Amino acid sequence: MSGALDDIVVLDLTRNFASSMSAAFLADFGARVIRLETLHDAAAPLETADSPRPGAWNHEADLIHRNKQSVRIDVHGERGRAVLDDLAARCDVILTDWLLPELEAVGLDYASASARRADVIVARISGFGPRGKDRELPPIDELAAARTGMMPILPQPGQPPVYTGAGAMHSAVLLAFGILTALVHRQATGEGQQVDTSLFAANMYGASLDLQAFLAIGKGDRLLNPISRLDVSNPMSGALYPSADGRWVTLTMPDTDRWWPEFSRAVGIATDDPRFDTHEKRCETNRLALIHELEAAFARQPGSHWRALFAEKGMSADIIERFDYPANDPQALANRYIIELDHPTHGPVKSLGFPIYMSESPARLASLAPCRGQHTAQVLRELLDYPAETIHELGTQGVIA
Amino acid sequence: MARALEGVRVIDLTVWFQGPVSAQYLADFGAEVIKVERPQGGDQARGVRSIKSLEIGDWNQYFLVINRNKKSLVIDLRKPEGQQIMYRLVEKADVFLSNMSPELLEGWGLSWDKLRAINPRLVYATNTGYGRFGGVSRPSFDMTVQALTGIMARLGEPGEPPIYLGMGSGDAYGGIMSAFAIATALYQRNRCGHGQCIDASLYGAQLYLGAPQLQAYLAGNEDRALQHSLRAAPNPLWNLYPTRGKWVYVCERNEDARFALLAEAFGDAALANDPRFADADRRANNNTALIDALDALAGALDHEALLAALELRGLACAAVNTLADVIRDQQAWDNDYLMKAWCEEVRREVEVRGLPVTLSKTPGQIDSLGPQLGQDTELLMMDLLEYSWDEIEAFKAAGAIP
Repeated sequence: MSGALDDIVVLDLTRNFASSMSAAFLADFGARVIRLETLHDAAAPLETADSPRPGAWNHEADLIHRNKQSVRIDVHGERGRAVLDDLAARCDVILTDWLLPELEAVGLDYASASARRADVIVARISGFGPRGKDRELPPIDELAAARTGMMPILPQPGQPPVYTGAGAMHSAVLLAFGILTALVHRQATGEGQQVDTSLFAANMYGASLDLQAFLAIGKGDRLLNPISRLDVSNPMSGALYPSADGRWVTLTMPDTDRWWPEFSRAVGIATDDPRFDTHEKRCETNRLALIHELEAAFARQPGSHWRALFAEKGMSADIIERFDYPANDPQALANRYIIELDHPTHGPVKSLGFPIYMSESPARLASLAPCRGQHTAQVLRELLDYPAETIHELGTQGVIA
Repeated sequence: MARALEGVRVIDLTVWFQGPVSAQYLADFGAEVIKVERPQGGDQARGVRSIKSLEIGDWNQYFLVINRNKKSLVIDLRKPEGQQIMYRLVEKADVFLSNMSPELLEGWGLSWDKLRAINPRLVYATNTGYGRFGGVSRPSFDMTVQALTGIMARLGEPGEPPIYLGMGSGDAYGGIMSAFAIATALYQRNRCGHGQCIDASLYGAQLYLGAPQLQAYLAGNEDRALQHSLRAAPNPLWNLYPTRGKWVYVCERNEDARFALLAEAFGDAALANDPRFADADRRANNNTALIDALDALAGALDHEALLAALELRGLACAAVNTLADVIRDQQAWDNDYLMKAWCEEVRREVEVRGLPVTLSKTPGQIDSLGPQLGQDTELLMMDLLEYSWDEIEAFKAAGAIP
């Protein structure tokens, strides 16, 4: 078995979690992803609550930089720039979340890169898109999410807006899809091009149904304000009810006619209760009454009871879990969504694995995150054919590290 | 204009959202996507009449947008004659995509083993609920799968109900994940000549929606599984504040110079001299006191005034908008994230979600919104599948096509 992308070289110029992850998705399927560490970078990475603690396993790097190589070059000096030019000329894809002026400063914008190599693909995640007056705003997902209209309507009424982070993760896959689509086009025509997505676009697409509904309907308080869980449109779909032990039950059975007989028996409501014996009564006339009946019904038994019942009856309903569930779920391990690995320093650990299954060219874990500059000499030798003495000289002059 | 996926033919045997949106991405970039539907009503999403109890109006924007740029072919796959038609289509296809369960596909004679024997170059893609391995196969919808990932339970204020990430949030993510997988398999197929079986499940994709937090949890940071109050944000400079109008998101590093500017913008420069907030550590340790102070200041301002003061000082900020703001946001229109398209059903232009990823030389485009049920059946039977009129009549008599 071979990697689907093992003839592709990617230059990774990324700072944000999601854009680094996008490059890692390509590396998972065999692309040679070379991460550029600049020697004198101004800003330190942003610390968040998700960042590793000092001395602990760097779980973040080993996810978003797995399977990558790392080179360190002083890109602001003349000789460093020449090395970078040589490197960029060997790369099929430049994947970045840098701002355009930053790319231009080191000759890695599309115009410069394609002058060096006509079939290059330059793929970028920006904050708000490559056009329009806000094209230079920084790529901060929170700002894009705030502008996308979903944050106020996710919580219960009266609660603060909710930032989910899902938009950033969406951008990672949008960019990877765009790159692969451009690569397929290049296979057919030899033509490279620019690929663009943004955090704004990604947040809009994560909110696609509400957004499309409002775009089409043009009004609707229920799309502008939060809907109480005791006022959902269909008591059997999209609803949340607390069980006896406080664990939350959620149901997605939009076709209530199909499920009502079995469901009503399961929750202890008479199937022929005249208040609820048609879809229209359940979802319109007596909707609120049914929500209150279900609120009372689910409070009678603990979450485990409901899960067992849903599973037995094959209902599309479940208990809302915390991260301990996927962390210990055999199904997640069987599909390699979560993997166990033996870390050289930290021993056996679990990590997020691979969201995509491919039978003939499966995702791989060839290596964990590289140390900064770990592959500088190797890449200069293998990919750029630099003689050993040149590499040595560049090192002693501080051009590379 | 050239199309990136020109010449790629996709069989789209999908319903509802995840599968259709996955094929939509391929269709937007020029793949010929043939949506195969059952005779009785087709894709169930054709029946959507309301969203959140709101009438959808005179056109079904749920179905028509994610099935744009596609053809519709109606086949009764429960009939052996219908399966024969599908096999001939498979011979001429590059991609087979379905979000039906593997058991159902097996029952219709559409397993990977069966179809690869017909066309070894075929990319066979499924969108299962919980993955192809491990034995779990049951009805799966966006929210019931999202419930298991842990991403809902960690959002919202402590003690509040879990937060669903939005209608279709998981399906949309599974859909783009699936499109990426298919494009990757096509690239590989073009290099080595053979297709493969791929799967992008709702569960696998949605575990990645919370990747930063789930990965931290797996590394032992159990706190990341739990809800956290905005009033306990570790960096008060990176937080949400309520004004008299909209909420405002401020995104700045916890640095003295930035804090001094922030205090000024909020209208109380003296806050920067408060010994409780004198440096980054103190601001982190006294975060709740600082957030309370900033809350009180913001609450006296209109969002326009606060945003103007923040922007004047070069601080990163945004108003928390509603969908009513987004549909008028010029930035979205300038980048084709929102577009206009002709809707045949109502004979007028309508506004639709556009292209979230763009390719400079082969941009996506919208040629048509979703097809009418079976509108291309006869043409595809004759031109693509090269059946004679007599054969087509026989298929009709057998009930394989309408």
